[in-house]
Amino acid sequence: MSSMANIGTAVPPPHPMPVGRSGDAVGTLAEKVSVRNLSFFYGDNKALKSVSVALYDRKVTAFIGPSGCGKSTLLRILNRIYDLYPNQRAEGEVLLDGKNILANGQDLNLLRARIGMVFQKPTPFPMSIYENIAFGVRLYERPARAELDARVETALRRAAIWDEVKDKLHANGLSLSGGQQQRLCIARTVAVKPEVILLDEPCSALDPISTAKIEELIDELKDDYTIAIVTHNMQQAARVSDYTAFMYLGELVEFDTTSKMFTTPADRRTQDYITGRFG
Amino acid sequence: MMEHTMKAFDADLQDLSRMIAEMGGLAERLIGDAVDALSRHDSELAQSVIVLDGKIDSLQREVEEKAILTIARRQPMAVDLRDVVGALRVSNDLERIGDLAKNIAKRVIVLDAELPLQKVMRGVEHMTELVLTQIKDVLDSFARRDVGKALAVWRGDEEVDAVNNSLFRELLTYMMEDPRNISVCIHLLFCAKNIERMGDHATNIAESIYYMVEGRTLPDERPKGDTTASTNVPYVS
Repeated sequence: MSSMANIGTAVPPPHPMPVGRSGDAVGTLAEKVSVRNLSFFYGDNKALKSVSVALYDRKVTAFIGPSGCGKSTLLRILNRIYDLYPNQRAEGEVLLDGKNILANGQDLNLLRARIGMVFQKPTPFPMSIYENIAFGVRLYERPARAELDARVETALRRAAIWDEVKDKLHANGLSLSGGQQQRLCIARTVAVKPEVILLDEPCSALDPISTAKIEELIDELKDDYTIAIVTHNMQQAARVSDYTAFMYLGELVEFDTTSKMFTTPADRRTQDYITGRFG
Repeated sequence: MMEHTMKAFDADLQDLSRMIAEMGGLAERLIGDAVDALSRHDSELAQSVIVLDGKIDSLQREVEEKAILTIARRQPMAVDLRDVVGALRVSNDLERIGDLAKNIAKRVIVLDAELPLQKVMRGVEHMTELVLTQIKDVLDSFARRDVGKALAVWRGDEEVDAVNNSLFRELLTYMMEDPRNISVCIHLLFCAKNIERMGDHATNIAESIYYMVEGRTLPDERPKGDTTASTNVPYVS
């Protein structure tokens, strides 16, 4: 983990939308996560077909593609959530800092602490705002009360929700608005100090202002975390990501810098999809 | 190309292309009329050029509004985004071409005498033919997104420059021969320069078309032949 010194000090820009940017050319940066020849099966159904892609260290990578293209499946493999379900299996390699997380003997709790995930629908626990954050921290550590308080505050500040909840930390997490709940879930993820954050359609249930706040948050978080986001909203991918991967029918069609993907994609199918000509 | 799932998006892009085509047709007509007015010394025709230029200006504003609205409403990406940006750029060039033709027309009205320099006029007319061909070709390549043809226009501007250079020298000579020629020659010099500039705008449009189709800007310097900036004919008494 890099420095947390700037927590809570970042001033939001005058406009809530972060601007799009261009990343360094593919292949020139350190890979935090390397997916190699990854195939995935739901029973006999092959949902991913030998996908290879990288998540670059402290960059945002967006996965786009029509429903059923395998982008959520790919995300679910990265922290082995799929292990919770029978008849699902992965082939190939997913390297986290060079170590294959699909290998037998991988400690799944530890893995999920290092690779956190936020889902489409906000999923706060039915407990207080404070406990929503503290619960996850206590799974991995036994901090003293004062330190735990600090961890909760830090996480809530990091998720840009502290000012809205600091006076009601013991209110039920479910009493918050949808956008606040989602930021609470991001705070919960951040609190256990992961290295990679997976976001599966984090804004699809949110209004535009809440969406802008989450996007601003993603922009801030990438200073410290490697982020992967699955989104149906192509403008969102264009706004928040450094790299974009386009998937179709279980294959990775094209992967490049976001600036290249949204101005001059190389593959016809990418072009047809992002310009709204698909199918 | 495949249609958009949302048909209204296709209609927006087609509207932009149609407006550009209309501007292009007007620009061609303006150039022809302005130079005709010059060679025949037809003030009435020159007046109509000035009026018609207003139509190009208003079309350019329409293109701009439509393009901005399309960006706001459709958030165009990739080839669509380049199409909209290209339309904006091309409409600016066509608007400038209209202004240059109007400027020739204004000079026709000021020059209230017959032109004594038929030989120079033939040079101007020749240059106009060359530029009109360039503009016609570049508008064709815009309509068909034909990069090959656009590149030919881009490379073909040198000939226009060559004619302009020789006109420049010729006019300098006439001015030295007889100071009474100076007023007419200066106006003709500007007319020639205007036409040469129209050719430059045609190459700009060719560059925009290349960008729209290929997604990158033209890499190398365009071949240029305008040497009037470094031409000096010394006065010998």
